[in-house]
Amino acid sequence: MPPDHNLDDYVDPYAPGHRHSADGKPGPLRVGLGGPVGSGKTALAAALCRTLGAEYDLAVVTNDIYTTEDADFLRRNAVLPDDRIEAVQTGCCPHTAIRDDITANLDAVELLESRHPGLELVLVESGGDNLTASFSYGLVDAQIFVIDVAGGDKVPRKGGPGVTAADLLVVNKTDLAPMVGADLDVMRRDSAAVRNGKPTHLISLREDPSAATVAEWVREQIRARVLV
Amino acid sequence: MTSALLTLADSRLPAGGHTHSGGVEQAIAAGIVHDPGSLATFLRRRLATSGLVAAGLAAAACGAAAERLAALDDEADARTPSPASRTASRQQGRGLVRVGRRAWPSPLWDALTDRPHHPIALGVAAGAGGLAPRDAASAAAYLSISGPATAAQRLLAMDPLTVAAVTARLSPDVDDVAERAVGELPAATDPLLDLLAEVHAARKDRFFAS
Amino acid sequence: MRTVVQIVARPGPGGRTVLPVVRAGGQLAVRRTGAASVHLVATAFGPLGGDDAEISLVVEEGARLAVRSVAAAIALPSRGEPLPSAQRIRATVAGALDLRLEPTVVAVRAHHQAELTAHLADGAVLTATEQVLLGRSGEEPGRWTGTTRIERAGRPVLHTTVGLGPGEPAWLPPVAPRAYASTVHSAAEGPADDAEVATGEDAVRLPLPGGWVTTAWGTELHRVVGAVDALSPAADLRGTA
Repeated sequence: MPPDHNLDDYVDPYAPGHRHSADGKPGPLRVGLGGPVGSGKTALAAALCRTLGAEYDLAVVTNDIYTTEDADFLRRNAVLPDDRIEAVQTGCCPHTAIRDDITANLDAVELLESRHPGLELVLVESGGDNLTASFSYGLVDAQIFVIDVAGGDKVPRKGGPGVTAADLLVVNKTDLAPMVGADLDVMRRDSAAVRNGKPTHLISLREDPSAATVAEWVREQIRARVLV
Repeated sequence: MTSALLTLADSRLPAGGHTHSGGVEQAIAAGIVHDPGSLATFLRRRLATSGLVAAGLAAAACGAAAERLAALDDEADARTPSPASRTASRQQGRGLVRVGRRAWPSPLWDALTDRPHHPIALGVAAGAGGLAPRDAASAAAYLSISGPATAAQRLLAMDPLTVAAVTARLSPDVDDVAERAVGELPAATDPLLDLLAEVHAARKDRFFAS
Repeated sequence: MRTVVQIVARPGPGGRTVLPVVRAGGQLAVRRTGAASVHLVATAFGPLGGDDAEISLVVEEGARLAVRSVAAAIALPSRGEPLPSAQRIRATVAGALDLRLEPTVVAVRAHHQAELTAHLADGAVLTATEQVLLGRSGEEPGRWTGTTRIERAGRPVLHTTVGLGPGEPAWLPPVAPRAYASTVHSAAEGPADDAEVATGEDAVRLPLPGGWVTTAWGTELHRVVGAVDALSPAADLRGTA
């Protein structure tokens, strides 16, 4: 017998918007960290863990393409215990795993949530991809796209979903700008032009290893979520 | 047959299948799969063993009551002695339950455990989608080769048209396996697949979860 | 030809095992060869295609039984239409059963079907081995299908069917072995009998609740048996001998 397919008044109890823990509180804020290979996603994740680890109950999911290198880096550099880091295999398709079929990442997030019931923040770091990579909002509540000045100051102008649609665009390695001939003002202006009012932060993890401005943005997202 | 079967067997159904190679990644590492011919052989082998078992379990789970589902989950364990293969099956079962609950809302889902074997979840999904046991068997048999075929295509950079042809030409075998599986709980096993699964699970450098 | 064997092992006085029932008819005879061991002796060539053997083993609580055979069995093809030969072993075990028969050699054009069904009570211990060689020396391989089902307290622990030889769908080059061996051990759940996964070249050991199953395959039977033994925890194999 075919099931009832009246979708008009169907409330999906499992949809992300209805995600609540048993006591009715919203689950942890899930923040996606995406961006091209080498732009500094893992270093930023480590910085956020160090800066926010004392304030929030947090954990990280890594999407290494081939090895557990990123997860291992975080274990060494993020002062995070092993049981707060989960690595997922992405079947040669890091892009698919964060956007089209997010199952493996949801499993990892839910595993961390069940292991740490008080979790307040989960960072989901994508495998290094290209400028078209973006997270599904079924997986994350907010996403940060990380590019670096060494990739050239034309990257913001070229756009792509990562640059234009991410909730926060981070331009990393500003300390390298003079060496690679990148004009930070151009990058700032081009970003503003394509991002429709959404913020862009220019940072150098070498000069500020705490990633203070990005950490503050994450705090705002957590506060906004708790208030809802 | 209804179009629910097409949805269920669609590789784009977000149930986590794309992160599993069904042993192909390790078969490639071991030199067993290296070209379209050896891929076809591997797929036929997988279809005749774990595919047949999955089809039987999925057909039996389609429309089954809670108690029967628990017994079938035990039968799936007994037919899957490899811990790595069990984990892979239960991971994919959980992924299918997650999307299945939302795609085909039904009280049937509540009869399942948190992490059922994939064929059991597949049978329940088929039942919830208004399909028959034979359809569930078809989906299980097809999925036992479609995911591994795609994995091989990615890992070996094979011509996707060739891989599509290899899969399509196995259609009669897929139909035959689905036909034989209904009403039975076959136990066909391939120790080679168990060995590949365990060696693969112990590796740190891998693209796929299984 | 139909062969029937029935053996019941029961605890006797002083902790010894007695065998109140030992029956054999057809192509097998049973000889008691030790305090708690019997040997199956073939009384004819074969089995031939169409032959059917049913071996029933009951080991009651507190009893131990070891079952052996004196020589390899050579499965031969039937003369007329092709029929498989079959051997079904049904074991009901509350004590300890150690079942280790000599290899089965399957001649060209023969198809032998072996089946082991074991119903184990909560405290039962089972060790069972299987050794198969496809084809006699210099001969093309025959076909062998082996099914093992083990239940403990009514729940399935292991259920597998392995098919070897021409016509078996998963016996395909480049992995189409002539020799195959497997040992399964199942005791009541407890750390003493647990075993982790272990792998070798064409050999794998998988854990079972309170035990393990080890399988190996290759071209030469003695090497394959050696590979199984190398991965099988030794202490468990001696447990019931």
